[in-house]
Amino acid sequence: MKQPPSLRLRLLAIIGASLLGVWSLVAVWMLVDVRKELSTALDDRLAASARMVAGIVAQMPPPAVTGLPDTPVAHALDVVARDGLACEVSLLRGEVVGGPLARTAGSPGMASAPAGYGTYTFGGRLWRTFVLESGGLRIATADRIDVREGLLRDVALTAGVPFALALAASLLLLWAGIGRGLQPLEQLRAVLARRRPDDASPLPALASPPELRPLVDTVRHLLARTHAAIERERRFTDDAAHELRSPLTGIKTHLQVLRLAQGRPEHAATATQALADAERGVQALQATLEQLLTLARLDGPAASGCAEPADAEATARQAIADALDSAGTIQGARDAVPPEVQFHAPGAALAVAVPAPLLHAALRNLLDNALRHGASRSTVRLAIDQPTAGQVRFRVQDDGRGMSEAECAQAVQRFWRHSPGTTGSGLGLPIVQAIAQRHGGVLALHPVPEGGLAAELTLPACP
Amino acid sequence: MHVLLVEDDELIASGIRAGLQLHGLTVDHFASVATAQAAQEAAAYDVCILDLGLPDEDGMALLRRWRTRGQHLPVLVLTARDAVEHRVAGLQAGADDYLLKPFDLDELVARLHALLRRASGRSTDRIDHGPLSFDASRGEALLHGVPVELSRRELALLRTLLQHPRQLLSAEQLRDSLYGFAQDVESNAVNVHIHHLRRKLGAGIVETVRGQGYRLGEIAW
Repeated sequence: MKQPPSLRLRLLAIIGASLLGVWSLVAVWMLVDVRKELSTALDDRLAASARMVAGIVAQMPPPAVTGLPDTPVAHALDVVARDGLACEVSLLRGEVVGGPLARTAGSPGMASAPAGYGTYTFGGRLWRTFVLESGGLRIATADRIDVREGLLRDVALTAGVPFALALAASLLLLWAGIGRGLQPLEQLRAVLARRRPDDASPLPALASPPELRPLVDTVRHLLARTHAAIERERRFTDDAAHELRSPLTGIKTHLQVLRLAQGRPEHAATATQALADAERGVQALQATLEQLLTLARLDGPAASGCAEPADAEATARQAIADALDSAGTIQGARDAVPPEVQFHAPGAALAVAVPAPLLHAALRNLLDNALRHGASRSTVRLAIDQPTAGQVRFRVQDDGRGMSEAECAQAVQRFWRHSPGTTGSGLGLPIVQAIAQRHGGVLALHPVPEGGLAAELTLPACP
Repeated sequence: MHVLLVEDDELIASGIRAGLQLHGLTVDHFASVATAQAAQEAAAYDVCILDLGLPDEDGMALLRRWRTRGQHLPVLVLTARDAVEHRVAGLQAGADDYLLKPFDLDELVARLHALLRRASGRSTDRIDHGPLSFDASRGEALLHGVPVELSRRELALLRTLLQHPRQLLSAEQLRDSLYGFAQDVESNAVNVHIHHLRRKLGAGIVETVRGQGYRLGEIAW
């Protein structure tokens, strides 16, 4: 992922660019305005100069209007020339312009310019001209466009330098101000960076502005949740170690008993018993390990859907057969009556949106529990029905001593047992619960009024 | 040695019981705090092996109760939880020793003997009594330096007598320490073992206090 620029730079860029844009527009606007005003003023000066010369010329007879020095006309032209203007006075005979009677030094030939304002190129330079025709005389005044532009440049420069300096100073102040404004964020970062990973204490009180408060609260909640999750995992590891150590201890102890009793004929019965007990321990250890592995696999990302649906009835029958099989080998010697499960299924085939091995594992756990806790072995029941069109419900019921509502709520916790010392890994119901949750299903436990416990596993159906 | 075993895991308990019996110890097994407490009040035990996770109550609670009542029965705590804080809590509650599951049976027996030794203020497992020298942990008796062949019950009887010198022991107490709580034994079984012990070690080894019980006696040089 591309790293975004620092917040400070970003703010500076946004605010700085806006500032620059707005002020540039204002500057352009002002420059255009000044140019127009200047242009009008200079045009007015051209016209005024022409009228002044015309006024002087009108007071003397035409023959006196010559370019000779020391005449009033020559004086007037000198005044005009000092202002940087060019002026030409010529005779007008009808439409024809005669040769100039008098002109300022450096004045271009302006015979071709018409009356009024105009812009012409004379001698390779651009000129602004004004021509006044009155009383048979034609008076043309002009000034150079490049001089006008130079004037405008001077004005722009005089106004622009302080403007640019002010803009640069604003940006500097902005940089400092933003840094100051972001200080609470930096404080929060420093506090978080200082924390040790296993620190369980809540965040210290921070004087955070209202904009930051949601962030601080979120971080606070996240830390609390993370810590709770770590604590849960730690407890689980502790419990798992305990669950694995108990059968391991049994196995080890019995093997040592076996070693002690070996070769002592009077203890042959003890040796045989120790070997059988060690094997029992191995079975218990294996069962717990299998359950732990199942649970660990279920902790992965959810994968559900109807890609590989399970046949409800066939899977249930398989689970019943397997549950009875293992119940028979464990309990068979003790009980005269072999265990039995009553099975009810609707006629139509039902597909469940859970892979068959997982559905099998869930039903096996429910059946094992029922067979283990049922009072008489003949009345464990498994029924399949459809509460709604999109669901399949498996109901496993026994007639044992059952559990209270409170115990039902606790029973899905890992390593919970109805009473310590009872067989089983304490992982069966958590596994069923995990399978149900992972596939959008629900596991519900409730006591049966006549005695016993009903476990209802409701799973989404496939069409 | 009469051992009170408090452990709710049936598999572990049967293993410990068989192992300790093979080492010549007498074991009474109880699976809950309530029954263990009743047993402790009813019979004289030399040492207790206490599991902490028990169905009715935490084993630590029983231990604490015993200690506040001044009950000094040596207790070895067995637990599957190895966190240091568990261990410290157990020792602070009055446990004399601490063993983590899974443990070694030989180590368990050695620790039980060490506990008993410490409780009776001895520094070795050897008890000398006149010309008799008895190794409690190995179960060997030497009379004038010559090994004497003794059965398991005879060893247990001798051990009990030697561990309580000058103390008057009733026939029931001796029977408990030989057979444990649970076994149904004929009333004259203790007498038979006393008879054998007198035959092998000399008549003076067990003194009969008429109508009251028995006491460790002197062996003639």
